[in-house]
Amino acid sequence: MVWKEWREFRDQLLSLRRGGLSALILALILGVVAPVQLGPEWVESKLIIAYWPFLAATMVSSLIADSVAGERERHTLETLLASRLADSAILLGKIIAAVLYGLGFAVANLVIGLVAVNVAHGNGGLILFGARQLIATVAFTILASLLMAGIGVFISLRASTVKQAQQAFGIAIIVLTLGPLLLFNALEYETRNRVIARLSGLGEVRIYAYVTAALTIASIIVIGGALARFKRGKLVLD
Amino acid sequence: MAPPSGYALRAEAVTRDFGPVRALDALSLEVPKGIVFGFLGPNGAGKTTAIRVFLGLIEPTSGRAEVLGLDTRRDGGAIRVRCGALLEHPGLYERLSAQDNLDFYGRAWHVPKGTRADRIRELLTRFGLWDRRDDPVGNWSRGMKQKLAVARAVLHRPDLVFLDEPTSGLDPVATAGLREDLATLAAQEGVTVFLTTHNLNEAERLCGQVGVISRGRLLAVGSPDELRARQDSGRVNITVRGLTSDVVALLRSMPGVTAVTVDEGHLSLALPSGASVAPIVALLVQHDVAVEEVRRARATLEDAFLELMGAERSTNGGGL
Repeated sequence: MVWKEWREFRDQLLSLRRGGLSALILALILGVVAPVQLGPEWVESKLIIAYWPFLAATMVSSLIADSVAGERERHTLETLLASRLADSAILLGKIIAAVLYGLGFAVANLVIGLVAVNVAHGNGGLILFGARQLIATVAFTILASLLMAGIGVFISLRASTVKQAQQAFGIAIIVLTLGPLLLFNALEYETRNRVIARLSGLGEVRIYAYVTAALTIASIIVIGGALARFKRGKLVLD
Repeated sequence: MAPPSGYALRAEAVTRDFGPVRALDALSLEVPKGIVFGFLGPNGAGKTTAIRVFLGLIEPTSGRAEVLGLDTRRDGGAIRVRCGALLEHPGLYERLSAQDNLDFYGRAWHVPKGTRADRIRELLTRFGLWDRRDDPVGNWSRGMKQKLAVARAVLHRPDLVFLDEPTSGLDPVATAGLREDLATLAAQEGVTVFLTTHNLNEAERLCGQVGVISRGRLLAVGSPDELRARQDSGRVNITVRGLTSDVVALLRSMPGVTAVTVDEGHLSLALPSGASVAPIVALLVQHDVAVEEVRRARATLEDAFLELMGAERSTNGGGL
């Protein structure tokens, strides 16, 4: 399944249509222009740790809505379901392929960015990430991609067309990203300050651990839900 | 493993409801191994639902079905391992090449790498698609896509292959080509083919046995000859020379002859079903009429099919 998904991504990229060209432009801007403009801050900022998970999740989101709804719309789903592939192999294959795509894009962006920032601002020395920051970045990137892929597949399973899946997915992303911010802003000024103070007091490692746990639990719930929902008998009649 | 029975498929009173709609109504059927079985019926008759049940994709509401000795409710996965299918749509990945499409399904069916490459080459060559193997199939004609989909269905050498209206939407030339390919394939691969169609000419040419279904009910099953025999009109066509009006009058007076028509040396007689032609030929020869050809007018499968549909419609008092 992963092999087939990658073949389709590859052929899409090679044809420079749809996501292919925009992905290349995005890679160039994010991989070269941003690091050169930001300089050492591109590596040293505490906030940059959220950048690669966000980037990978965005790349995953560009593909995953198509995963099941696209097969349904292009009339390939029933043939796939009539094959010997297990339900879990089909679903997890699609998730893994999308996660690898997002992760690959983020890692390539990170490497290109490091080269660019060192060439532009290295001044004879090496600008690198700290080990803790690098480990957290990779872990968050994988988990954020998994979560996004799980949400995307879950929505795609329920949608009858790719357009419908993309619309629902877009709304889900807005709710998931803006929702917590709006909730936080809705808190009283003093409560917000207490939360900020509490978080600041936790320390870097503990915050990383909490974020990892939250992303892992959310991913397990969403992917588990998608696996439970993936039923041949139902899908073949949708 | 399948028990040593001679049937590729058995259905016992299989009923499938979709809400208030009964798609299959107590369908009982036995398909022997190694034949091409034609499942005939109009649109919405229940053909596709039957295939979905047999592949274990959906469960029957009641009754049971066995495919290759495996229960469709319990062993759907094992059934799909040993079956191939071309369903309502070709189901091809249009961005991928023909070779990649087959390679993907070869991997899915665990066909070993070396065997897979040889098998893909063999099938693409057989269907005349080898030269276009690297083209994305989205650019192909419908006929070529159908051929590729058939190749995909038999790629892993299944014991039983389901073909759901494989020539639907094809032009006559592509239909004839694909039909020929299917006949060769069934003969060479020794695979049991379960073919649904409403192309009766196709069924007559390809199928060893046919079943006729309408509104989910099996109306008849047997060889095309058996179904045609049910429609035996008893009509005989004789090509003659030297026929006179006296002889025609004698023919009309013969016992059992219900009608005689003459048209430029072609004599057509209506006899009771199964009646012998010998006394008629003897009478003609006795009166110096030269008999050049005697041919029983055979009912076609289409005649039989339309008769069954008509009978079913009048029984249920509705249109098809």
